[in-house]
Amino acid sequence: MSLTIAVPKGALFDDAIARLAAAEIAVPDDAGRRLTVGARAKDGETVELLFLRPSDVPAYVEFGAADCGIVGKDVLWETDRHVAELADLSFGACRLVVAARRIDRYHEGAALPTFLRVATKYVRSAETFFSERDLPVEIIPLHGSVELAPLVGLADLIVDLTQTGNTLREHDLVIVDEIDRSTARFVVNPIRFRAKYAELCGLLERLGVEATATA
Amino acid sequence: MRLPAGVRDWLPDELARKREIEQKIRAVFGRWSYQEVQTPGFERFEVLEFGLGEALTDQTFRFSDRRANALALRPEMTTPIARLVSTRMREDPLPLRLSYVAPAYRYEEPQEGRMREFTQAGVELIGSADVDADAEVLFMAVEALDAVGLSDACFDINDANVVDGVLATLEIPEARRKECKALIGERNVVALRRFEEPRLVEYAMLRGERDALERARPLCGTPASRAALERLRDVLDRAATLGIGSRVNVDFALLRDLEYYTGFVFEGYVDELGFSLCGGGRYDNLLPRFGFDVPAIGWTAGTERLLIALERRGRHLERKRPRIDLLVAGSDVVAARERAAGNVVRFASGELSDEALIADARAHGIARILVARNGKIRELKVRKAPPPPAETVHPFGEAPH
Repeated sequence: MSLTIAVPKGALFDDAIARLAAAEIAVPDDAGRRLTVGARAKDGETVELLFLRPSDVPAYVEFGAADCGIVGKDVLWETDRHVAELADLSFGACRLVVAARRIDRYHEGAALPTFLRVATKYVRSAETFFSERDLPVEIIPLHGSVELAPLVGLADLIVDLTQTGNTLREHDLVIVDEIDRSTARFVVNPIRFRAKYAELCGLLERLGVEATATA
Repeated sequence: MRLPAGVRDWLPDELARKREIEQKIRAVFGRWSYQEVQTPGFERFEVLEFGLGEALTDQTFRFSDRRANALALRPEMTTPIARLVSTRMREDPLPLRLSYVAPAYRYEEPQEGRMREFTQAGVELIGSADVDADAEVLFMAVEALDAVGLSDACFDINDANVVDGVLATLEIPEARRKECKALIGERNVVALRRFEEPRLVEYAMLRGERDALERARPLCGTPASRAALERLRDVLDRAATLGIGSRVNVDFALLRDLEYYTGFVFEGYVDELGFSLCGGGRYDNLLPRFGFDVPAIGWTAGTERLLIALERRGRHLERKRPRIDLLVAGSDVVAARERAAGNVVRFASGELSDEALIADARAHGIARILVARNGKIRELKVRKAPPPPAETVHPFGEAPH
C-alpha cells in the first residue's frame, strides 16, 4: 500500500521537503510548481505528495484524500477537523501574539479602549483568548497584511503569528501578550492510521520522531 | 422553499438504494434472532440525558411542549431502548435481543457522513455480561457489512477497562485521567508527550493482532485490565477460527465518544473512507441508571455512511427502475385481475390515445399494455423507442428563475 502525504506550500514547504528527503523520500526538484508528484521511497514504495495551501491540509487528511500530512499547529487551532496529531516535527516555530502600536503603550499597561477592535487571520484563537478573559472585543477577520490594521485605525490590536518579530518591529508594533506557540505537526487520518498502520508507523520513524511501540 | 441545513429528501431512486441496504441488514438481524422495536422520535429530555455523554447532550435538538416540558429528538437509539426495556420488558426472559432501523437527530456541522438527520441500524443484546455477547455483536456487525457488499471492511476492537488500568498503572493523577483519555482517543501524541510518561505514548500508538496484547500486558497492572486483555484475546481467537482473523485488530486508542461504554468496544471501517461505518460496545452501567440492574451491549451502523462507501466503489449507482409488468387502461377489473395474478400494474388515468399509452409505457420500461374499451380487451405492442435527440445536460437541474 502506498501513502499519500499532504505537504503545505508556503513557509513550511522547504523544511517539510527536507524532512521528507531525510525520511528517504526522494522528491523531484520541480515539485514546488506542481499540484501532486509521485515520489519514491527508499524501500521502492511510491509515495504521492499533494502540495496544498497550508489551511487546506486538515480537510484533505480528515476526508482521507491524503493519509497523512504536515501542517502547522497554527492551522489546527483554527479548525475543527478531526486529525490525529502524531508528532511534533519541531520546525516552523512561531508564536501567536497580541500586538499593538508602540505609541499606544498597551504593553506598558496603558488602559485599553472600551470598544476594543482586534484584527486577525486567527479568528478562533483570538475569540477564545479574549472570551477566556471576559473581554468584550470586536474581531475583524482579515486575510493578509494584518499589521496594517492598527496603523490606519482599523483596529486597536492585532492577533498574528510572528517568527522573529521583525515584521512587527518594522511597523513599530510591539507584542502585548503571547497566546500560544506553534510548530509543524505530523497528522494522520484516524481511520487510515488503522488501515495503513505499518506504513504510517514506518514513515513516522523515518521522519526522525522518537521511536514508538512498533519495535 | 429550501430545506434547513443537514437534512435531505430521498427521491425514489435514492431511497430504493438506501432501503436495499436496510433490508439486507434487517435480514442479518433476523438471522441472529433479534426482534425489531420502535420508540418515539422524541422523548423527555431528562430521559435521554441519562444515557448521553456531554458531547451528545450538546448535540441534541431540544424543544418544549405547551406545558414547557423539556423534550428532545433522540440523538441515538440505545438510551430509548434502555428506557423501554427497563420499564416495559423487565419481566421478559433474559437475554433480550432487540434491533432497530430508525432515524436519529444530532446538531452537527453537516459534512460527508455527518447529517443532522440520519438513519441508524443496530441491535442491543441485554442481560449478558459474557464474552460470548461481545463476540456475538462483533461477528454480527461483520456479517452485516458483508451482507451489504463491504466484505473487506475491517474491525478494530478494544476494552474500556484497559485504558483505565493503564492510567492507574502509570500513576497518572486521578484529576488528569479524563483529559488523558480524551487525548488517547484523539491519538494526540504531541499533547500526551507533555505528561512525560513515554509509556503513555507507546500505549496510544499500540495496535495490532495478538502481538499488541502482549505489548500491552506490562502496562496493565490492574486485575480488571488484565481480565480485559484476556477477553480481547478470546475474541481475536474466535475471529481467527471463523476465518476473519485478518479483519479484526486490537486498537488500544479506540475509546469511542459515548461516555457510557464500560467494556468491549469496536468500530468497523473501510480503507478509503475517513470515518467509521459502524461501532458499538458494552454499556453495563446504563440500564442500572434506569433502575434495572442488567448488563448490555450493542452496536449500530449509519446506513447513509454504508451507502457512501458503496457509491464510492461505483456500486449502487445504477438507476434501479422498479419493475412494472403492465399498463392497463379502461378497466379496474382487468387491472385488479392482473394484480391478483402477481403482476405490478400501472393504471393509465384519463382517456389516452394509443400513442400516449405507448409513450407512457416506454417512459417506465413497461413491456405490455392492455386496453379495455367497449367491452373488449386488446393488447398494444410496445416497440423499442428511437434514441432520444442529443440535448444539453444539466446534471444538477436548471437554476430556478
